Amino acid sequence: MIEPAISVSRLVKRYGDVVAVDDISFDVAPGTIFGLLGRNGAGKTTTLETCIGLAAPTGGAVRVLGLDPAKRQDFDRLKRRMGVQLQATSLPEKAKAREILDLYAAYYGVVPRTQELAERVGLEDKLDRFVGKMSGGEQQRLALALALLHDPEVVFLDEPTAGMDAFGRRILWGEVERLRARGKTLVLTTHYIEEAERLCDEICVVQAGRIVARDTAAALVAAYGGDASIDFAARGFTLEPALEGLGRWTHAGERWQVSVQAEAGHALGAIVAHANALGVAIDDLDLHRPGLEDAFLAITGEPLDDDAAAPAGLAA
Amino acid sequence: MTRIALVLRVLLAQTRANFIWYFLRDGEMIFWSLAIPVFFLFIFSFALGGGSTRQTSTFLIPGLIGAQVLSSGFWGVGAMLATFREKKLLRRIYLTPIPPWTFFASLVLYRMSLLALQALVLALVGGLVFHVHVVGNPGSIALVLLLGAATFVSLGTVIGALVRSTESANNIASVLTVPLAFLSDAYIPIDRFPAAIGNALRLLPSTQFIDTFRGVAMYGDSLAHYAGWIALLCLWALAGTAVSARYFRWV
Repeated sequence: MIEPAISVSRLVKRYGDVVAVDDISFDVAPGTIFGLLGRNGAGKTTTLETCIGLAAPTGGAVRVLGLDPAKRQDFDRLKRRMGVQLQATSLPEKAKAREILDLYAAYYGVVPRTQELAERVGLEDKLDRFVGKMSGGEQQRLALALALLHDPEVVFLDEPTAGMDAFGRRILWGEVERLRARGKTLVLTTHYIEEAERLCDEICVVQAGRIVARDTAAALVAAYGGDASIDFAARGFTLEPALEGLGRWTHAGERWQVSVQAEAGHALGAIVAHANALGVAIDDLDLHRPGLEDAFLAITGEPLDDDAAAPAGLAA
Repeated sequence: MTRIALVLRVLLAQTRANFIWYFLRDGEMIFWSLAIPVFFLFIFSFALGGGSTRQTSTFLIPGLIGAQVLSSGFWGVGAMLATFREKKLLRRIYLTPIPPWTFFASLVLYRMSLLALQALVLALVGGLVFHVHVVGNPGSIALVLLLGAATFVSLGTVIGALVRSTESANNIASVLTVPLAFLSDAYIPIDRFPAAIGNALRLLPSTQFIDTFRGVAMYGDSLAHYAGWIALLCLWALAGTAVSARYFRWV
């Protein structure tokens, strides 16, 4: 059996009367990308903070690369082997990106690869700019470079793309893919569905300090995402017994809708073939496949983001 | 050995970076830490000097340097630490393999070098314009200055340890720095106050430090002459260090 890179067991973290993490357990296999997905305040960041030694567990245990971040000696050894991008670190405003990268290289006792790192995070022409003059997204990309500069085995990213523009997100996602290809272990917290779906080998859905679901994105969608639905208009369309078996049908006038549990492609093919046989034209076809967002809503009973659009259902 | 060399290298690099980031590139900081003390020296020498500006500035220069020692401790170290913590910079540093004290030490070293520059500028202007002579033993002067710096850095760190928000830390630092300088024999001789108040003011570490510094630097007094106050300053420094060590948090 492979030793997990990160092992969290029965973790509890209380701040006074507030329970931020309420009995969370998970293992992360080496070389995988593990996502903690949840709304703000669900306990993702606190969980991550106990993994990197910024918060001591109230109960339970955390091991990263076999080391206990709450123990001084272990923590000191871990610092060299992990890379961390925190939320909202303000680096000195009057410092240049280049100076910060050089200084952090000295912290880790590694040869500065400032130019190379800057190119990787898309800051190669911003190296002599003051941090205070950089945009929020640029500062976050600089923070990403600081997390990677000593080639760590485990990387923790806390809401890495919050507030980043599309360019920044592409850069970050590219770096994550690169780290995956090099066999690194990653833990990231996010409240962006697309990020979790696209990057994570495994997703933990966190709600009110607890893990409420844990699987691959595809498995979560299959288990919780609900039915796919096909919606179309076809004048003169009628059902036949073989089609009725596809799923639950509703229709109003010439608008038809069917909810299918199985692969929607098969149902679609059958519908089109039947329409052709009837000599009926299909207009305005709409296929909705369930996504991680639908699964999240089904699992937690609340949308991931308050201002996210309501899940696209068929308004009949 | 290599480990020590590495830590020393980081300490120097970080100190140098602090000096550039927080002083050389910050016009406001240059104004307040260099221009204002020199301006005060001129204004007070003429305004307060009853007869001889030389006598007045001889009194004022160690007072102005002393006030900068207070401000280095309360502002430069104490309030800065609270700011760094609130900006989450401290926790970022805490996650790197450098011993966290290195970062603290670099902040102190930066303020010490700035203090040396401030003292040099004030002594130079004093010598050139007001013909002030620094008569004390350089070693003794440096020693007292170091002791004062240690005292107020450690008391300043108490602010950084106990106060969570940048705003409160800044407010406390300014309340401590500015009135305290006026009450501690820095600009106004303490015997201008009624005797009872004067005696109360001598209980302040700032008064003890500034008097010792002035006596040793400008009037050539021996360290032994101030043994009592030097001992008290050491106690203040220890007390401040103990409280800071107990309550200081990196995250």
